[in-house]
Amino acid sequence: MAIATTLEERRAIAETVRKLMADENGEKRVRAVMETQDGIDRPLWSRLAEMGIAGLLVPSRFGGAGLGPVELELIAEETGAALACTPFLSSSVLTAGLLVASQDEAACARLLPGIAAGTTIATAALTAERGSWKPEDVAVAAQETDGAAVLTGTASYVTHAGSADVLLVVATTPDGPALFEVAPRNPGITIAALPTFDRTLRLDRITFNRVPATRIGKAGWPAMEAALRLTLVARAGEQAGGARRIFDMTVEYARTRIQFGRPIGGFQAIKHMAAELLLEAESATSAARDAALQLALEEAGAGEAIDLAAFACADAFAKIAATAIQMHGGIAFTWEHPAHLYLRRARAYSYLFGSSDLYRERFLTKISAQPHNVSAAP
Amino acid sequence: MTNDDLRREVNDWLAAHWGGAGSIAQGMWDTNAEMRAWYTKVFEARWSVPSWPVEWFGRNLSDEQTSIVIEAFARVGAPGTGQDRFNLPANTLLALASDALKDALIPGLLKREITTCLLYSEPSAGSDLAGVRTRAERDGDRFIVNGQKVWTSGAATADYGMLIARTDWEVPKHSGLSFFFLPMKQAGVEVRPLRQITGEAHFNEVFFTNAIVPAANLVGGLNQGWRVLQTALAYERSTMGANARKSRHGSADDIIALARAAGRLDDPLLRQDIARVIALRRLNALNNARAKADLEQGTSSSIMSLGKLAMSRILHEEARVRTAIIGVESLLAGETHPTADDVNFLALNAYFTSIGGGTDQIQKNIISERVLGLPKEPELDRNVPFKQVRSG
Repeated sequence: MAIATTLEERRAIAETVRKLMADENGEKRVRAVMETQDGIDRPLWSRLAEMGIAGLLVPSRFGGAGLGPVELELIAEETGAALACTPFLSSSVLTAGLLVASQDEAACARLLPGIAAGTTIATAALTAERGSWKPEDVAVAAQETDGAAVLTGTASYVTHAGSADVLLVVATTPDGPALFEVAPRNPGITIAALPTFDRTLRLDRITFNRVPATRIGKAGWPAMEAALRLTLVARAGEQAGGARRIFDMTVEYARTRIQFGRPIGGFQAIKHMAAELLLEAESATSAARDAALQLALEEAGAGEAIDLAAFACADAFAKIAATAIQMHGGIAFTWEHPAHLYLRRARAYSYLFGSSDLYRERFLTKISAQPHNVSAAP
Repeated sequence: MTNDDLRREVNDWLAAHWGGAGSIAQGMWDTNAEMRAWYTKVFEARWSVPSWPVEWFGRNLSDEQTSIVIEAFARVGAPGTGQDRFNLPANTLLALASDALKDALIPGLLKREITTCLLYSEPSAGSDLAGVRTRAERDGDRFIVNGQKVWTSGAATADYGMLIARTDWEVPKHSGLSFFFLPMKQAGVEVRPLRQITGEAHFNEVFFTNAIVPAANLVGGLNQGWRVLQTALAYERSTMGANARKSRHGSADDIIALARAAGRLDDPLLRQDIARVIALRRLNALNNARAKADLEQGTSSSIMSLGKLAMSRILHEEARVRTAIIGVESLLAGETHPTADDVNFLALNAYFTSIGGGTDQIQKNIISERVLGLPKEPELDRNVPFKQVRSG
């Protein structure tokens, strides 16, 4: 992979998405969409598809924009800042990423054009009740006889499964985890919507009872990991963008809210919290962008850069969103104030696609395996 | 002169004169005869301050050409050039001193014949540096200085001290300060080593009892000292940060190696903590790289101002994790327990960064005001004659 766009082009893309979010994805819209059945802002999703964003990662020969992690991360900063309610992560990043990584040309040709056009909503089931996103916890088993496979078991925390036209499933085989496609409306499949703390998300638990499945490609867990890496880069971008937005809102409130005859932002208690959060927000942005860049350039350090972004951005967003409520005071304890929407998103994204603890552990495992003194003080 | 001509000239000169580092002193505060002899050669060949005007010991080179000279010296390991970028007293003098004072001091400074120290902080003027109470009173063509300074490195050997002192008590605090180059080797100046919490003594207290400074050594004009200090501090900040201290034995710098040696690299809770602190250092490096890239692309960045705050958090957090790794061994000290010695040293020395050069709390005020646009702190001593300002 290389970076296909110039800095100017990327700035223009980010600006266009920012404007789209401001015009069509205000807080009012988010609140309306999050209470709908499928939780998807269909008009916004159509606009994103028209702009090529639904097919951002899809190679151009399958009808996509053929772009990569750097553009993905920048766009995610904008959609994350706006809490956009779309199947972007499910369909355009995770599932498109799995298909591309599977190197199954036929499946790509069959499924990717619809994903790129936004007309197909796709999702993938990778984890089970434990929600660890680790290969050893996959709880769907594939039984293959004469080239035909059936899946049995349970998957959970599957995003937007209730709306999905295409459903990919990771199931265990004698050779390890493998990727399958099933028909989401097959009678052997039960999709139960899970009630979500972050109302902008849709999660489902899926049970499989001898469901006919088509094997996608030959790749094992490394292909899932490649798609998860892209998903984590997008998640990190959304976290950095969300963190920055709620931080900016909080600083603005501190400038204008008057108590004791002066702006509350004049009190050191508030100023010092704000200065600390600025460091967190900037660090999250740096980590997300570095992870995207390293992945795009296929650097040897991409794995640890993504691990770092995965926990650093999650922790920064969680801290900023939580502290923002305290800095606002009573107004942010109300349902009407948007601060809790950011806290809900921040808490959800601390576990969806893997916890901070998991990525810290992986980060340390990677860097402690290196011979040089990476942890030494300079 | 083309860049190639310059490159040839400096390389030829180095080939003809540089014979290797030999016994030339290396430290920031050290000098010796060999060092002075080399710096004098560099000065006479006009390589000390390549970008300075020709009438002031330089060659009037552009930034780019100055970098060519610096790179050429660096390639062979020769010191002495690039002082237009880092020689704090010389730059301050060039910017603001009288021609006579420049002539008197700059050559000696560039040749390392003259060393200096900074006489800024006082017991009652730490974070609030403009609140200094050391007084300088006019007496004909000289000033008489009384008072006390603190946190002065190199005071015992310095020839001159860069002194900020109060020359007018009837005006508000920033308006009554003057900046002097005070001769240190005189009866009215007493230097006492100041023992730090680490047990070392890198700093001194300096006491003035009717110390004398010629009026000719005033820089920037009477009561213009705050402006001079801002110039001097800007040079100081631009060269700071590169020289973070390591521990004495170097046995605790690498946290992963420390945990491995302690047999605790498989402790899952500790692993989380170790990953957290290593991440802090990585994130700081990423922030700095992004700030640099922003600057190169011509967009200003707020990240620069966060560096010191980030570093003090890194140092304190690393110290906490190192202590957790060695556990009860941190009860011990001394040469026989070098790891404990290092860990304990780093825990204490972290305050050097979180207090020195403005406490974290002052930094947070500055960041919230200058970067985030939050209201400024109320200044109770603003527009008040300094003699009426409370101290303690």
